[in-house]
Amino acid sequence: MTSEDRFRAYMQAFNASDWDRLRGFYAPDVRLVIGNGTELKGREAIIDFYGKVKSQTRRTIEIIQCFADGQTLAAELESEFLAIEDAPDFAVRPMAKGDRYYLNSFVFYDFEGALYTRIRAATFRREFRPAT
Amino acid sequence: MSTGGLRPWFEAYLDAFNRADFPAFGAYYADHINFHGQAAQLIGREAVLAFYHKVRSYLHERVELIGFVGAPDGGRIAAELHTTLLALRDWPDMPTGAMRAGDTRMRVSFAMYDIADGQFTRIRTARFSPPGGQAA
Repeated sequence: MTSEDRFRAYMQAFNASDWDRLRGFYAPDVRLVIGNGTELKGREAIIDFYGKVKSQTRRTIEIIQCFADGQTLAAELESEFLAIEDAPDFAVRPMAKGDRYYLNSFVFYDFEGALYTRIRAATFRREFRPAT
Repeated sequence: MSTGGLRPWFEAYLDAFNRADFPAFGAYYADHINFHGQAAQLIGREAVLAFYHKVRSYLHERVELIGFVGAPDGGRIAAELHTTLLALRDWPDMPTGAMRAGDTRMRVSFAMYDIADGQFTRIRTARFSPPGGQAA
C-alpha cells in the first residue's frame, strides 16, 4: 500500500467514525496540532477530541489532493462540519443546529512505517454557512 | 521535473528570493500565476513582483525551508516555511499588521505550489499556529 493509499484509508475510517480502525493509524505518542494551535498528545487524546467533535457535528473530510515524499505526506483537505445540535462551545466557533462550517487546510503528516507520528495543520480558508 | 530535482530547484528559488534577486525569482512565476498569500491575493507575475518590490521597500524578509514534500509527478510542492521580517521603516498599513522600524516578526507558513512547464502557476499559503501560541 502506498502512503497515499494508506492516507485515503485513514480518511475513510475518519469519515465513518470508525475509532478502532482510526486508532491503528497513529503511533502511541503521536502529536497533532490543529489549525487553532491546540496540540493533542497521544492517540487517545486525538480519538477523544474527534469523538467530541463528532458528537456535536457531522464532520466529513474530503481529500482535495495528497502526495508523499520520504517520510512526510502533504494533504489539502476540505472539512465540512454540520451541526447536529446546538453547540455553543464548539471548538471553532459557536454553532446552531443546522449550521455548516467549512475549513480548507494544508496538513503535514510525518510517519514511521505505517503509523503517523506528527500531524500539523494550517487553515487556508474558512467559510460559515448558517442554517437560515 | 523529477522529484529528485524538485527540491534543489525550489531551494534556488528561495535563495533568489532571500537575496531579493527579482529577475531570478520572478522567472519562477508563470505569466498568469495565481498568488494567494496572507498579505495579498494577486494574479500575474508583474503584480506579484510589484507587491514584493513594495514589501522590500519596507522590510527585510528571509524565508527558510523547514519541510519539503514534492509530488512524484513534479507538479506540486508543499513546503513548511519559516519567515523572518525586519521592518526597515514604519509600515502602519502593512496588510498583516502594522510594524515599526526595527520590529521583527516571525511566522511559520504552509505553502502549496502548483507547477507547470517549470514555473509556478499557483501559490497559496496558510499560517501555522504553533502550540501554545508562542512565536514560531
